[in-house]
This record gives sequence, C-alpha cells and structure tokens, in this order.
Amino acid sequence: MNLSNNPLLWVTFLPLAGALLVALLPDARRSWIRWTAMAAALATFAASLWLLAGFDPSSGQMQMVIQVPWLRVAGISIDFALGVDGITLLMVLLTAFLVPLAMLSAWSGVRERVKGFMILFLLLETGLIGVFLALDLVLFYIFWEFTLVPMYFLIGLWGYSRRIYAALKFFIFTMFGSLLMLLAIIFMGLQAGTFNYTDLLAQRELFAGAQLWLFFAFALAFAIKVPMFPLHTWLPDAHVEAPTAGSVILAGIMLKMGAYGFLRYNLPLFPEATLRAAPWLAGLAVVGILYGAATAFAQKDAKRLVAYSSVSHLGFVMLGIFALTQQSVAGGVLQMVNHGLSTGALFLVVGMLYERRHTRDMAAYGGIWKVVPVLGALMLAVVLSSAALPGTNGFVGEFTILLGSFGAPALGTPWFAGLATVGVILAAVYLLHLYERLFLGPLTHEENRQMPDLNLREVLILVPILVMVFWIGLYPQPFLDLINPSVETLLQSVLPAAVAMH
Amino acid sequence: MLEQWMYIGIFMVVAMMLPSIAIIIAGLLSPRRPNPIKNSTYECGIETVGPGWPQFRVQYYIFGLVFLIFDVETVFLFPWAVAYNRLGLFAAVEAALFIAILAGGLIYAWKKGALRWL
Amino acid sequence: MSINDFLAILPVLVVLVTGVLVMVADVFLPEGRKGIAALLSGLGLAAGLGAALAAVPSTGTAFAGMVVADGFSLFLDALFAAVGLVGIGLAYDYFKRMRLQRGEYYTLLLFSIGGMMLMGHANDLVMFFLALELLSIPLYILSGFFRARLASQEAALKYFLLGAFSSGFVLYGIAMVFGGTASINLEGIVAAVRDGSANLTFLLVGAALLVVGFAFKVSAVPFHAWTPDVYEGAPSPLTGFMSSATKAAGFAALIRLLLVVFPALGENLAPVVSGLAALTMIAGNLIALVQTNIKRLLAYSSIAHAGYLLIGLVAVNSSAAGDAVAAMLFYLVGYAIANLGAWSVVVAAEQAEGRGLELEDYSGLGRKYPWLGVAMLVFMLSFIGVPLTLGFWGKLYLFRVALESGLFGLAVIGIAASLVSAYYYLRVVVYMFFRDGEGVARRDVWLNLIAIGSAAAVVLMALVPGDLLQVAAQAVLRVP
Repeated sequence: MNLSNNPLLWVTFLPLAGALLVALLPDARRSWIRWTAMAAALATFAASLWLLAGFDPSSGQMQMVIQVPWLRVAGISIDFALGVDGITLLMVLLTAFLVPLAMLSAWSGVRERVKGFMILFLLLETGLIGVFLALDLVLFYIFWEFTLVPMYFLIGLWGYSRRIYAALKFFIFTMFGSLLMLLAIIFMGLQAGTFNYTDLLAQRELFAGAQLWLFFAFALAFAIKVPMFPLHTWLPDAHVEAPTAGSVILAGIMLKMGAYGFLRYNLPLFPEATLRAAPWLAGLAVVGILYGAATAFAQKDAKRLVAYSSVSHLGFVMLGIFALTQQSVAGGVLQMVNHGLSTGALFLVVGMLYERRHTRDMAAYGGIWKVVPVLGALMLAVVLSSAALPGTNGFVGEFTILLGSFGAPALGTPWFAGLATVGVILAAVYLLHLYERLFLGPLTHEENRQMPDLNLREVLILVPILVMVFWIGLYPQPFLDLINPSVETLLQSVLPAAVAMH
Repeated sequence: MLEQWMYIGIFMVVAMMLPSIAIIIAGLLSPRRPNPIKNSTYECGIETVGPGWPQFRVQYYIFGLVFLIFDVETVFLFPWAVAYNRLGLFAAVEAALFIAILAGGLIYAWKKGALRWL
Repeated sequence: MSINDFLAILPVLVVLVTGVLVMVADVFLPEGRKGIAALLSGLGLAAGLGAALAAVPSTGTAFAGMVVADGFSLFLDALFAAVGLVGIGLAYDYFKRMRLQRGEYYTLLLFSIGGMMLMGHANDLVMFFLALELLSIPLYILSGFFRARLASQEAALKYFLLGAFSSGFVLYGIAMVFGGTASINLEGIVAAVRDGSANLTFLLVGAALLVVGFAFKVSAVPFHAWTPDVYEGAPSPLTGFMSSATKAAGFAALIRLLLVVFPALGENLAPVVSGLAALTMIAGNLIALVQTNIKRLLAYSSIAHAGYLLIGLVAVNSSAAGDAVAAMLFYLVGYAIANLGAWSVVVAAEQAEGRGLELEDYSGLGRKYPWLGVAMLVFMLSFIGVPLTLGFWGKLYLFRVALESGLFGLAVIGIAASLVSAYYYLRVVVYMFFRDGEGVARRDVWLNLIAIGSAAAVVLMALVPGDLLQVAAQAVLRVP
C-alpha cells in the first residue's frame, strides 16, 4: 500500500502542513500569511476533488482504506485507520469547500493576530476532516476533541463582547458529552479487543448486552454537538460570539460532526438500542424543530436568529436519521450538506452586514435594499434556500426527509413528520421576517444610506455557495447517487435487528 | 483468644489502679504544713532569677549539635573497636566511610562558623 | 554483604554521595559562584540517571533483604533523577533572582531525591520509614528556605507538623504489621500470611495505618490539608519539584505495599482506597474552581491528579494488576512532565516578594510571550486530558484499567472530575490569552528550555505513547 498516493492522507494533513508553513512566516507579513493559508485551504479542496475522482459511487463500502497499527494499549491495538464512503465524502467535500470561503470572509474581518487566526483555522480543518475520515474509535475521539481547541481560541480571541463566556461554555458542554463517549469507547475496546471500527462492527454482539448504555453515552456526545433540544443552550452563545468565519465553520461543519456521529457510530454499532431510542430521539428532533423556529422568530439579534434556525434545521436532519428509512436517511445526509451551505451563507451575509454597521440588532437596519441591492439580492437567494423554497437545495433535503419519515416503521406514526411539516412553514415565517426587517420597507436609519455594497471579494465568497444551492436544488441526482449506496449499506446493518425485534 | 484479651484487660486495670491508689493514699496520709520555702519553685535553696522564658543564644544549640557528632561517633565506634579483630577489612572500610561522612559534617559546620563563639 | 549489594542501589548512592560532596564543596565556594554547586548536583543526578538506566533489573534482594532493585524501582530511580535535574534547572535562576542563591538548597534537594529513590527500592518496612524520613526532612527545611517570608516559615512548620503526624501513622502501622506477622521484612510478612500464622486483624489495621500515612504524602483527601498552604508558601521551584516527585514516591510505596504485601487484604482495603479516590477527585477539583492564586490552583490540581492515580491503586489488587501499575507509572511520568513545565512558567512569572502569582498577573502573558503561552496551554490541556497530549493517554490508560477491573463508578466520577477541571485549567488560558494586562515574565535560558522542552515532550510523546507504555509495562515489581 503506497500511502503517498492516497488522497485521504493528503486531504487530512495538507491543512496541518499549511499551518506549520504559516507558523514559520514572520508576523508582520500579513498578506503572505493570508495567501499561504488560502493556498493550503485550496490545495485541500483540490485534494478532496481528487478524492471524489477516485471514489467509486456504486459501492456503499469504505474505500481507499488506510490502516496502519499505531500503538498498543496492553494488548489492544489502536490503528491509524482512515476510510471514506459516500456520506463521509460529502462531509469532507463540504468542509474543504467551506473553509476557503470562510477564510476569505476573514480577509477584512480579522486584522489583528492574522497569523494565529490562520494557523488555528487550518488546524481546525485538519481536525474536522479527521473526524469524518477516522475509522478507529480512539483516533476518531482524538480528532473529535482536537477540534475543540482551535475553535475555543477562535471564539475566545476573535469573538465579540461575551466571547470568553461563550468559548468556555462551548468547550465544557462538548467535553461533557465526549468524556462519557470516551468511557464507552474504552469499554467497547475491552470487550471486543479492538478499537477498529470495521472490526467492532463485525463483532458488535460482544458488547450488545450493554448497548443501551453505550448508545446513550455516544448519543449524549453527539446530541450536544448537533445540538438537539434540550442540549442546545451552548449554541446561540457560541455562534453569536464567534467571529463570522468561526460561525460559518461552527454551523456549517461542526454541527454535522454530531449528526455524522449518529449515522456512523450509533446506528450500526447499536442497532437494537437505535430502534428502541428512535421514537424518543425523533420526538426530541421535532421538539427542536418547533422550539428552534419559535425562538428564532422572537430574536432581535440577526445572528442569534440564524443560530436558532440551526437548531430547527438540524432537527430535520435528526428526524431523517431516526426515521430509519432509506429515503429519510438519505434526505438527512443531503440536508446536512444543505444546512452547511445555507446557514453558512446566512452567517456570512450577517457578518458582512456587521462589518458595515457594527451591530447585529435588526432594528438598526431596515429598507437597505435600495442602498445595497447586490447584497440584498444575494441574501434573498440565501434566505429562500434556508427556507426550503422549491428549486433550492433546502427543499430537496427537507422534502425527502418528510417523505421518508411519514410512513417510517421505526416511528410507527406519521405524527412526527406531520408536526415537522409545521416547522417548514415556521422557517419561512422567521426567515422572511428577518429579511423584511433588514432589507424591505422604507429606509429607517439615515446612516445606512452610506453603506457600501458588496465588493468583489464578498461576491466571490457568496457566488460559489449559491451555485451549489441551485445545483442541489435543481439537479440533486449526482449527490443522491453518492449518498444512496452508503445509506443502503448502513441501513442493512441496522434493519435486520429491527426484523429480529418485531 | 478471648481469654488472652482478658488477661490484658486485667493487667491494664491493675496497672492503672496501682499508681492511683498510691497517690490517693499519699494524699490522705501525708501531713500538710506549708511554708514559703516549701512553696518556692525549686527546693534547692537558691533563689530563682529572672523570668521563666529567657532567650538562649542560638549558638548554644549549634554547639550542642556539633557535640552530638562526636558523641554519636564514639557510641558507634566503641563496639566496632572492641570487635575489630574479628571484622576484617570490610568493616574497616565501613568505619572509614562513616568517619568521612561525619568529617564532612564537621568541615561544613566549621566553615559556616558554627565553632566560633561570638 | 558484598559489592553487589552496593551495586543494587547504585543510583541512590550516587545521588546521596553527591549530596554530601556538594555540601562540603559549597562552603569553599565564594559568594556569587554558587552556580557551581548547582552544576555539581546536576552532574550527580545525571550520573544517577545513567546508573538507573544502565542497571539490569534483578529479581533478588540486597542487604539481607532490606532492598530490592527490580524494574519498578529502577524506573522510579530514573524518574526521580530526571525530575531532580529539572528541579535544579527551575531553581538556579530563581534563587539568583531572589538573592538567595545557596548551595544548601541543592544538597537538601539531593538528599530528598535519594530518599525518594530509596522508597522505590525498599523491601522492608523499616526501609520504607527510613526513606520516608530521608525524603521528608529536607523538604521541611526547603519549604522554609525563604527565611524572611512569613508564608515560607508557615509552610515549613505546617509541613513539618503534619509530616511528623503522618510519619507517626506509618510507624504505628509498621508496629501493627509487625505485631500481626512477627516480621517487618516484606518476604517475611508475605510468608506469614501465606502459612496462616499471621493475625489478619492486626495486619489489616497496620495496612490501613500505612495507607493513611502515605495518603498524607500523596495528599489524598481528607489528608490534604497541608498541601495548598505548603505549596503556596514554599519557594516555587521547590513546589514544582515536590508536587511531581513526592507524589510519585508516595505512590511507589503504596503500590508496593498493596500489590506485594497486602494482596490478601485487597477486598478489605479496596473500599477504603476507592473512597479516598472518589473524595480526592471530587474535592480536589471542586476546591480548585475557586482559587485565584496560581500556586494554590496547581496545588489543588495536584490533589486532583492524586485522585485519578488512586483509581489505579484500587485496581492494583484486581486481575488487571500489571496494567494498573503500568498505567500509574505512565500517568506519573506524564503528570511530572506537564507539571514541571507548568511550574517553570510559574517560576518565570513570579516577581520578587512573591508578587506575580495571582491569576490576574497572568493577564496578557500568553500574547506577550507566545512560546511561554503556548507551552502553558499545552500543559493545561494535558492536565485536562485533551487528546494529543500525554495527559490524554494517561487518563485513557487509567480509565481503561478502571473499566477492566469493573470500577465503573470511579471511572464515571473521574470523567466528571475531568470535566470540572477543564473549567479552572481553561481559566489560566483565558487570563493568559484573552485578557489584556501588564504581566511580565523572566526570560531565562533554563526556564525557557524546561517550558518548551516539556511542552514538546508532552505533545511529541503523545504521538508515540506506545514506547513509554512499553517501558512502564516492563517496570514490574518483585513478588516474593
């Protein structure tokens, strides 16, 4: 096995190499630092496309697997194991796609300590991609926790007024869940004699007796990250206080780590527990959808509104996952991508507004469409995509989820989907409300008259995202083709347990 | 098992009773005719001078410690010297090491000025 | 008695002889050249380290069964010598800066290290006591090294009184064990238990007293009361040394006693040690939350880490004994490295007259001195147990042992305690990086070397932790 030809390795460690390179540059050379970091991020994106090119979409199995023994803990080996399937691939592509754009958004937003910012950002990217690719539970945990540190600093150093509180809350909340997960991982390793995901999957009967507890430990870690109601309270603070680029990554990718964890670990490793917990988690997801929507509507702070909309949107993803039908899970995966694009873009737009007026209070805007028509038009597209208007990506994702979960046998009743549908309508209400307060009506504040419209760099950030939004919205088939075989494989390992139970 | 404990118990009771009985009897039988001389701190005839908490020179203690070096040396070397003929070379080396360590302590004290009375 | 007996404890002898030499040499050194004493001590410790690394673990005993030189004791020899070397590096610039450069510091440090090493070698209860006193008495004196500072005097007195108290427990425990088994030699005790001639009640009481006595030394709750005051009052370089090494020495004694001497009492002692572990983790971490002085914060942190280590001690009498010892040694090494590093930052930031020790004084320090700041960040993350630090692997191994021996409750408490600890460790990071301030730190070659070297060790060794664990796993104890 020639490792240097494996794109997995490149896509994981290119950002790290970039970070080291940036660390060597002198502090004062800001543009060197920025461009080196950007080059590393773009190279990572290129590597992820290489990954896509080498991927065989017809198979739902793990591909391009790297497996090198790393060390042994008293007889149990920990592998350096990476692998990719359709779900992972989409997540990696999303990460590699969003990071350069977020970085570009920090071009003007971050003026102090540029070097530190770029280093942390690239370290974060390595951590994120590692989380998605890892195929060894200890390795996964290492990447999982590793993402905490750069994000903690991004919020704490470049955030807004309550940044220290938000950063600490973010760290402690996430750590709370993941430590229990660590215990569960060690327990499974002891039972099965391996930490390798594939091996564990093959021998899951060995720890089947404790699977309700293990499911709970994993679910807690992931539910905090997603976040599911009622564990979401860290999210508004972290999102609001983080710098724009941080919010984009936080909402666009880090929340997906939780959903991805559910898919990759909870479902196949603990199938019976999954089936038993499915209605409860789906119920929490629906509560999250409605609660997030209602809370979002009540916000005065534009960024907070977007943050709560994340709670609502991730509810759909969770509903899709725990409806456990082919269609709903595939929709859930697609919606993970969609949310990354749409909410990422929303945070970007709100960040651009903030840079112009230095406030996130919606009342400080109003009627600025006439002043900044380009921003207004692009934001309209973003808002509509987030509100799941037909023709945009959001519609495809949410529609597939709802369709899949209406008749889902795991849930037993269409009520979950029925209530979730209300969430779709509510999303339109609060998002259009946001747009109306910001852009429509008469110009309420004279000082907004001088607001500059988007410059080329800002347009360049938003256009690629919008292209993706409409691509997925109008022609989602290539994406679904990537997702479906993997989801099929995944469900095949869950559903036999369902048959056994009923 | 339990009987053995009982012996200990009896022993303790007797042990405590003996002195207490002696003290009580002495208190009952003894004549009591106090006078100022009998009530003074020491009945050796010399008047006490000064307060009860005078400060000693700290060097007094240091001298005491240095004296201990030689004191301990003698205590250890005496049995060694008595049995010297039967101990052989190994013991001679051991004793030399012992004296060397003590000498190190003495040199330290000397150079630090502990032997100078100021 | 032969030359082989001396070879068995060669590292100890090297260190102790160096101690005597430094003491004598020091009086001939003129003021201002006391660095030579530090240099000599460093050379002696390096020689001791070399002797420990070169030695071959034996399975026999020496000095008529008084000492052993097994893999366990040699591992600890190396650890103590290395910690001592770093301790000297911490002290050199500090005492020069505080105008208190004296050779006695190094002499006493060497004596204490010799005592710690002897603790690992002890194979006789009297040797345990001798080693305990040899390691403690110099530390009592060193705690009061700042004769002019009231806090330092208070530390010395408090440490001395409570230390003597704990020695009393140990001595009484030894007497009880002797009463129960008619032997103070570990072999004799084990034999007495095996052939049934031992009085198990006396043995149990004795074992419990010994555990209490050494629990003082590792500062397990509720025997921790001296720790914060002593750590705060003692000179910072000494505290750094003490919190890394004394803990290891105490655990060395506890491991050997519980694993070798009292396996039969495992059932009776395990609940006691479990209780100690739980209390120590909970109390140490909770009280650390409200500390505003960095020295006190690190003191409570060291109490908390003793709690995690006690989990391993509970597991010492289970089927996972070998893993438990290896995990504890690994954890001790990881903790020692991170802890010494953290104290090097504290030493660098301390100003004359004991200023610069409040968390407030650390404001902005991380931004002003990025290397020092990043190093401190690494140490704090290692204390929390975030991956890619030695602390993470240490906790992973310990919790693994806990789960393997069925200690689910302790593992969960340990997890919860780690979470609490994240808060106060991150507070240090918050002050260093997220706040603006006028903090200043000393730029000294040795301090920087220790800080950056420890940080690099914490991170790099975390990438290949297998080797260290391998070494720790080979550090087996001689079981008669």
